[in-house]
Amino acid sequence: MNFKLSWIPALLALLLAAVLGLKAPSPKGFDLAGAGALPVLQNGRIKPLDTVARASLLVMRGKQSVRDGQRTLEPTEWLLDVLANPEVADKYPVFMINDADVLAMLGKRPDEARFHSFADLTPKLDEIRTQAEQASKIEPQRRDRFQRAVTGLEEKLTTYQRLKNTMQLEDTRDLPMEMAAFAAAIPSGAEAFRLRQAGQTHDQAALDQLGSFLQRYQFLDQAASFRPLLPPKGGTDKDWTTMGAGLLASLRDGQLNPQAAHYAMLLRAWKQGDAGAFATSLASLQGDAQARIPSSASKTRIEVLFNRMEPFYLGIWFYFLAALMIFVSWLAYEKPLQEAAWYLMLATLGIHTFGMFTRMWLEGRPPVTNLYSSAVFIGWIAVLLCIPFERWSRRGFAALGGAIIGAATLIIAQGLTGQGSGDTLEMMQAVLDSNFWLATHVTTITIGYSATFLAGLLAHIWIFRSALSKNFSKEDSTALNKATYGVICFALFFSFVGTVLGGIWADQSWGRFWGWDPKENGALLIVLWNALILHARWAGYARERGLMVMAVFGGIITSLSWFGVNMLGIGLHSYGFMDKTLYALLSFISFEVLVIAFALIWPKISDRPTPKAA
Amino acid sequence: MDKSTLLKRLKPLASLQIAIVLIALLMGLVVACTLAQVHLGIFGAVKVYMRSWFVMWGPAEATWKLPVAPGGALVGLLLLLNLTAAMFVRLEFSWRKGGLWLSHSGLILLFIGEFVSGGMQIESHMPIEVGQTMNYGEDLRHVELALIESGATEDTVHTIAQRRLTPGNTIQDPRFPLTVKVLQYYTNSIVQQAPVMAAKGPATAGAGTQVVAMPADNAPSEEQNTASMYAEFSAGGKSLGTWLVSTALEVQHLDVEGKHYDLSLRLKRVYVPYTLTLKEFRHDVYPGTQIPKNFSSLVRLKDTELNEDRDVLIYMNHPLRYRGSTFFQASFGKNDTLSILQVVQNPGWRIPYLACILVAAGLAWHFLARMAPFRRQA
Repeated sequence: MNFKLSWIPALLALLLAAVLGLKAPSPKGFDLAGAGALPVLQNGRIKPLDTVARASLLVMRGKQSVRDGQRTLEPTEWLLDVLANPEVADKYPVFMINDADVLAMLGKRPDEARFHSFADLTPKLDEIRTQAEQASKIEPQRRDRFQRAVTGLEEKLTTYQRLKNTMQLEDTRDLPMEMAAFAAAIPSGAEAFRLRQAGQTHDQAALDQLGSFLQRYQFLDQAASFRPLLPPKGGTDKDWTTMGAGLLASLRDGQLNPQAAHYAMLLRAWKQGDAGAFATSLASLQGDAQARIPSSASKTRIEVLFNRMEPFYLGIWFYFLAALMIFVSWLAYEKPLQEAAWYLMLATLGIHTFGMFTRMWLEGRPPVTNLYSSAVFIGWIAVLLCIPFERWSRRGFAALGGAIIGAATLIIAQGLTGQGSGDTLEMMQAVLDSNFWLATHVTTITIGYSATFLAGLLAHIWIFRSALSKNFSKEDSTALNKATYGVICFALFFSFVGTVLGGIWADQSWGRFWGWDPKENGALLIVLWNALILHARWAGYARERGLMVMAVFGGIITSLSWFGVNMLGIGLHSYGFMDKTLYALLSFISFEVLVIAFALIWPKISDRPTPKAA
Repeated sequence: MDKSTLLKRLKPLASLQIAIVLIALLMGLVVACTLAQVHLGIFGAVKVYMRSWFVMWGPAEATWKLPVAPGGALVGLLLLLNLTAAMFVRLEFSWRKGGLWLSHSGLILLFIGEFVSGGMQIESHMPIEVGQTMNYGEDLRHVELALIESGATEDTVHTIAQRRLTPGNTIQDPRFPLTVKVLQYYTNSIVQQAPVMAAKGPATAGAGTQVVAMPADNAPSEEQNTASMYAEFSAGGKSLGTWLVSTALEVQHLDVEGKHYDLSLRLKRVYVPYTLTLKEFRHDVYPGTQIPKNFSSLVRLKDTELNEDRDVLIYMNHPLRYRGSTFFQASFGKNDTLSILQVVQNPGWRIPYLACILVAAGLAWHFLARMAPFRRQA
């Protein structure tokens, strides 16, 4: 095959993704990539420090990176400062506050900066705590905007303070020295304790000194945000320990946990800017991880690569670019631009696929496990579905549909990342912990969603092209119509099978095949609507335009089923109230209603003789 | 009537137009049922919109209600008729239409299945503590009046079902040793200490002389109701006084002519002819979190009739199915020493499985056959 110019955008996209994934940042000689890949246990999952950093930043700041004045910090760089050098970290503006009332409470004006540092907020900490405590007495659903914002801010502050008190207490000057003092205090303190128990005279000062260390490390154990100390070889997830617990364990044999010691050296080296010492401690920690948990250690390295590449974020831009190229192609350079857009879309699908399968491999789960991954998967299926249709009709429509839906779903996924713990690879609640049902019911129903959305999108293209474009031919119209019809059939099949499989899962897990739970009802509505469209078409009530309008309405129903039912806050499927999403959903629905109105009114007004422009 | 006139008569019933209207109506009901759940709870909303022939509506204060829309049961039944008629009238019996035949028969089966479980499914809860042995579940939505007669070797249990406990009703039944005259029956009530002696309830004997039951609005879901009843008991024409019985009260004792009885209004019990003993309950969380990883109950199943005596592990997505009942891990309590199993008896539980296979196979058959033109053009 000869090299074609139309491959260039696609190749550039792949190259960029590879560079972003493989480029290892090492400011001033510090191996950040290596440090970021160190495995820790947080929220029940083994993850790299880099993920801890990104998830915390997402929750606090709404973004995965920190900008401090002109400088942009790598997530791991920020986390190392939080863990090792809290005075510096306290000055980074990482708390995003949007709520005007909360800002007013803090004595700030809403037009000031949106991001605030911990140092900024310190004088108001008590006030924030008091207000959040007041608000938390109200049920989450009934809290007003201010109450939600202030409890949210308080949670962010807690997240941050726990991080600071994970590796050392935040008032620690020099961790290795403190640990040495602790190790030295153990023998005399233990001896004093033994004597006191025996009722003999003992060295009260030695006992007190050891006691104060124990208090510190108990607190450290409680406050820790994650557990950095590895289990012994052959241990399970339960055997990971916090820094505090690791130090307390020294009481038994008087020996400091060697890993705790390596971490202490690593953090001191970071604080003092000693890249050489940093590398030495890092190598020891990496060696330990490789020896004790080899498979998890290699997973965390891949996870860091995945984090840096941000395949879904890249996907938004590349899909968007592909869609833009097709729009332009209808004005000029039709063939070459459409071809280039097609290859770019395929390359982006490749990146999307890489991201999705990496996630699946990291998690050991089927593609859809939460709302976030459902968005990623819906986009992926829709783009995949477009491939045969584009190859069949070669008019750019299916490629355009794929690119738009790919970009849109990835934007939705991006918008969902900051929810909850900020880590989208969370552990599954007991009832959902079934790969079989996740793979069958959840996957098929999501394919049904995806196809219904795609049918709606193809309908948009038909509606706007047929109304606004002069060179929209009869063949174009038929091709789009057949494609839409085909996608609806596909959607009916998958949404039906998915819904019934959901019923069977429900029967397996709580004995009701069908419980009329809101999410089930949402899925049922999609099935019914798709069935209605097909029957209306067979009965001859819906022809070309009718089919298209109904397909657009299918998109509305799917969006309600996907997001709307969660907002009712009832039933087994509700994942909590999401007010930001509500506005997005309402805008989407209003827009779609306008599209439907336009599609219905247009033939009536356009049939009138159009007045010639003067 | 020969076959062709029968078909002609069926024709209007089989029309696609009716099918479309019915599907649209069903969609409307599903939407209404979903939205109503915010206020009525799932069970209440399903009762009003889905498991009803008509959706009834009346002003909030009025005692009358008018049917304002067809209910789920009616629409479902009509769809069932429409589907069945359509298959015979409109659908030609050919390979080309085989997929449609298959999927429509699957749908018919699915509707039948929903009617079967709507009418015949019995749900109950079995709270069972570690070491405890149980042979019944409790139906959280129904109560019964129970009278236990202590005998020398075994106790005899007499019960009266909830539907007979209506005010004004006098129950005289050879199977129940006492005559019961129902004075008041509250579906939901508040039982509390009588605030002042003047506010004492009508009870003249038993716990009702200390506490009083006052009627309350129905709880959002039926399971949360506290039922109470004032009734006069008599034996051999002699009154034993007016008693208060309530699901909120302990068992009360009653002595009649040398016989000793335990009296209570309790959740209706659904017995099974075997026993379950809870040996161990586990509630695992992911390390360092409160996220539940697993709930499981290890029970001993003992059935003297069928000579079964074995251990069973009931956990998420893995229920125990035994002799027409299915036991699911539903909940837990008392510091993880109490496991609550949901017990469901639904003779039609297999129908949806079969229906799903039929519809899926039918749709796949039909659509794949229809995709042929796409392939040819490619």
